Amino acid sequence: MTWAPVARRAGSPREKLRGALLVLPAAVLSLVVLGGGIGATALQAFGLLPVVGRPTPGVEAFTARPGELFAAVGVSLSVAAVSTVLAVVIGTLAAIVIVSRTRSSRAVAALGTLTVTIPHLIAAATVGLLLSDAGVLPRLLGIPPEAWAPWVGGPLWGAAIVELAWKESAFIALIVTGTLATRIQTYDETAALLGAGRAQRFRHVLLPLTAPTILIGAAISFVYALGSYEVLWLLGRTSPEPLPVLAVRLFQGVSLDSRPEAAAVALVTSVLALAAVALTFAALRRTAAWR
Amino acid sequence: MTAVDSPLTRSRGAGKALRRLLAVALAVWFALPLLPLVLWSFADRWSFPSVLPTALGIRSIDQAIAFGVVPALGRSLVLGVVVAIAATLLGALAARALTFGAVPGARFVSVLLLAPIALPPFAAVLGVNVVLLRAHVPSLVGVAMVLTVMALPYTAFVMRTAYGAYDRSYEEEARLLGAGRLQVLRRVQLPLIAPALARAAFLAFLVAWSDYIVTLIVGGGEVVTLPLVVASAAAGLGNDAAVALMSLSAVAPPVLLLVGVLAFGRRRTRSSKEVSA
Repeated sequence: MTWAPVARRAGSPREKLRGALLVLPAAVLSLVVLGGGIGATALQAFGLLPVVGRPTPGVEAFTARPGELFAAVGVSLSVAAVSTVLAVVIGTLAAIVIVSRTRSSRAVAALGTLTVTIPHLIAAATVGLLLSDAGVLPRLLGIPPEAWAPWVGGPLWGAAIVELAWKESAFIALIVTGTLATRIQTYDETAALLGAGRAQRFRHVLLPLTAPTILIGAAISFVYALGSYEVLWLLGRTSPEPLPVLAVRLFQGVSLDSRPEAAAVALVTSVLALAAVALTFAALRRTAAWR
Repeated sequence: MTAVDSPLTRSRGAGKALRRLLAVALAVWFALPLLPLVLWSFADRWSFPSVLPTALGIRSIDQAIAFGVVPALGRSLVLGVVVAIAATLLGALAARALTFGAVPGARFVSVLLLAPIALPPFAAVLGVNVVLLRAHVPSLVGVAMVLTVMALPYTAFVMRTAYGAYDRSYEEEARLLGAGRLQVLRRVQLPLIAPALARAAFLAFLVAWSDYIVTLIVGGGEVVTLPLVVASAAAGLGNDAAVALMSLSAVAPPVLLLVGVLAFGRRRTRSSKEVSA
């Protein structure tokens, strides 16, 4: 999952012009959407881009609802962390089963790939149908609604975590399978020939070599879970609100005053996401297999 | 994928049983959440304690139509195709330049194209909404623009991997034999990168097809796609059958596309092997 090294040729002015023209459409569009988007969000958060009236620079938007903001950070970070850990463990196990290429592993591969293609909102809807107190699972298990744990909208965010772990474990299984199917196979065989047992091969061969892929997958799913609106909105509870739900509610509120507060929540989420990415790159540099 | 089942690493005895048990558990993990879609879609009545639907029927179809599933499906398809074309084209152009060319600020451009993965979409969307409104961009165009940027990491990545394995000497040879630039593009480059283009377009389609929050906020209620309809039905009570059926209709198109893309890739590799043999 690494980028091919960037071509670092000086190039003639003509070549440079050609290169610039080819990347221009993608770069300009990305700059407008990301630069403009994050830029306008930041300006709004610091009171520099009011919907009406004069700009009033300041950090009031960040301090207006300290309780709600802290609670949102706590909920979002915990839900993202728990679902990412589950997704990494299940996804890595699934990848190991998939590369064993037995009949049952092909079924796991097909179901995993199917899961990756399902939109998160649809996945959230079907997890809701499965786990709500009159859902399909309590029906199948014969458990009455009052005895069924509050998965949907419960205090532990069970259904939301299950949805995120389900979808992201399929994604991690897919990318780890891709890594396992390369040269790692021969190392695994060599270790087996030298007498390494299954657990030893997992610990000393498979894990170190797939660590970069697992880390990247974990970072992508963590950032996704942190910024996912629809899953937590549909399957979560209304208080405390996670960051995306809080931001969108403030943004859509009747009062235009809450717009800067929505932007502040969005900015905090972006900083958390970028910090997670930075930590991942720091961790990647320490793994042996990262080139 | 290479064959991985080798006698050296194959499980035996208790390990084999454990591995099989694990495979079954994983299959259940991936399949179980899909069960409600199958069971509820054609359940006219499913009173509580019973394990299976009490009355089968197609009343869910009428309910789904009442929710506006048909026009929503059409809008989702159009949005998916537009974003797939735009993001694949832009991603392929940028990837080619970044792989072979001399791009000023290449590292910055690479990071910029990957950045949407590292940012929560709603954060950029709240701001971009202001920019697009002030620039008077129509909401549908705005949604397509933002989703194209969100799909660029995937298309640029797939196309860079493809161009990394691409031998430009075929192009030079064709030029030497008198082919024009357009002929080289049509007869040499496109056939060689076609499977990667198909994969990139599939991923970009999936980004647009799956999106909820961008369409909700940038679309401002004017672009009602399938996920928006399912969301409003799922947020209400007693719509279980309609939600299940609409969800099925949202799951099927990407799966069909994926099967097509995989078959296309396989045919390509086979025919290229036949040519080289």
